[in-house]
Amino acid sequence: MLDPDPRVIANKRLLGVVPGKPGVGDRKEPAEEDTVMVWPNLLIRHAVTALVVIVIVVLIAAFFDAPLREIANPTNTPNPEKAPWYFAALQELLALFHPLVAGVLVPGAIILGLVALPYIDRNPSIDPRKRQIARTAFTVFMLLWIALTLIGFMFRGENWSWVWPWEEWHGEL
Amino acid sequence: MKTSERIRKSTIGRSFFRNPDRVTERDRAAGHWSNFLLHLYPVKVRKVEITFKYTAFLGVASVVLFGILTVTGIFLMFFYVPSPANAYGDVQTIQNQVAFGQFLRNSHRWAAHLMVLAVAAHLARVFYRGAYKPPKEFNWVIGVVLLVLTLLLSFTGYLLPWDQLAYWAVTVGTAMAAYVPLVGDQVQELLLGGPTVGAPTLLRFYVLHVAVLPVALVAVLTIHIWRWRKDSMLTMDSDQGDTDA
Ligand code: HEM
Repeated sequence: MLDPDPRVIANKRLLGVVPGKPGVGDRKEPAEEDTVMVWPNLLIRHAVTALVVIVIVVLIAAFFDAPLREIANPTNTPNPEKAPWYFAALQELLALFHPLVAGVLVPGAIILGLVALPYIDRNPSIDPRKRQIARTAFTVFMLLWIALTLIGFMFRGENWSWVWPWEEWHGEL
Repeated sequence: MKTSERIRKSTIGRSFFRNPDRVTERDRAAGHWSNFLLHLYPVKVRKVEITFKYTAFLGVASVVLFGILTVTGIFLMFFYVPSPANAYGDVQTIQNQVAFGQFLRNSHRWAAHLMVLAVAAHLARVFYRGAYKPPKEFNWVIGVVLLVLTLLLSFTGYLLPWDQLAYWAVTVGTAMAAYVPLVGDQVQELLLGGPTVGAPTLLRFYVLHVAVLPVALVAVLTIHIWRWRKDSMLTMDSDQGDTDA
């Protein structure tokens, strides 16, 4: 390895560039024995990941057909009217709050919040025990979002009334 | 190893592979610099990076799903015309008459849903492992852009079959745009190309879905992976090394 701690000696000419610390501050270079070659170690794992993903997609596609309802008809509004599942949480909020809140402010705040997260959470530790607050906040938000998504996706029927999915199924993929 | 060696040494093999197989670490490192795709990878990574619990390979799974979507999507494009008069019938033709049409449409649809899930799970994994912390803050921001692009790709694709499901899901989704303060109506008008979902909407969503958004995603993804590659040798935590949630 190269000199891990290069020093500039006064009044000497610079003859070469040596790798220093990254611009972002004091980062340890990993010890030689803590590293592995990407080829083949990581490549083989990525190849296996790719195969697993492809097999999953092929199996689902072989056994389940993508939905195709009747042709679009602007004069015949279905009831319930459902957004795609990844917007189901927002649609559920739409039933609870003013559309400005549910349709604009909440999604806007989520995106901005995610963008700002690394600049808000300045705790440098990645030790789970030292970041309880961040982990709890994130987990609560995530569970809430999953719950809202599931409710909007399959617990809502005609006129957005509550239904039990095992009695009436209204989830659309 | 033996058989592959023999194939490489045959007349055809030698015309195909100009270089001998790379077996030593030095050879392989050199391989990274001479191969375009391997260029996206660092030569070495920290040991944790190859463990399942570190990334669950969700970022890679997202890339693979995007690849599946590109291949199956190009196939669908050969048979699909984005106009209200054709779209629905074209999808029926794909399902009933095109060889492997139903299977490839299914793959495209399910891979799209899975990609949303995989990207969301990747976000959560990155969060719990604290991989958004300095100096990786900006790669997280780039990731959020990728999340938005993924959702938009999924949503614009949803309209294309032009069935009742598509039509009304997009009606609901775009209705929210109208509530953006001050410019809401203009935003909605811009998305729909008219007061309601119609022929201009289908064309706009199609162009966004097959050209604008995928190109944007690839561009942003390239930066995302490049930054990952640059940082993949950094030790993150001063007191712990890499532990896991
Ligand atoms: C189209 C969507 C996305 C794709 C294809 C993608 C792909 C990847 C890949 C291949 C890696 C490196 C290997 C791995 O960690 O599995 C990575 C790392 C990373 N991703 Fe994503 N990503 C996407 C979206 C996101 C999102 C939504 C976020 C978070 C907001 C995010 C944040 C990160 C971060 C911070 C890293 C660096 C992790 C590290 O250096 O340890 N990415 N991404």
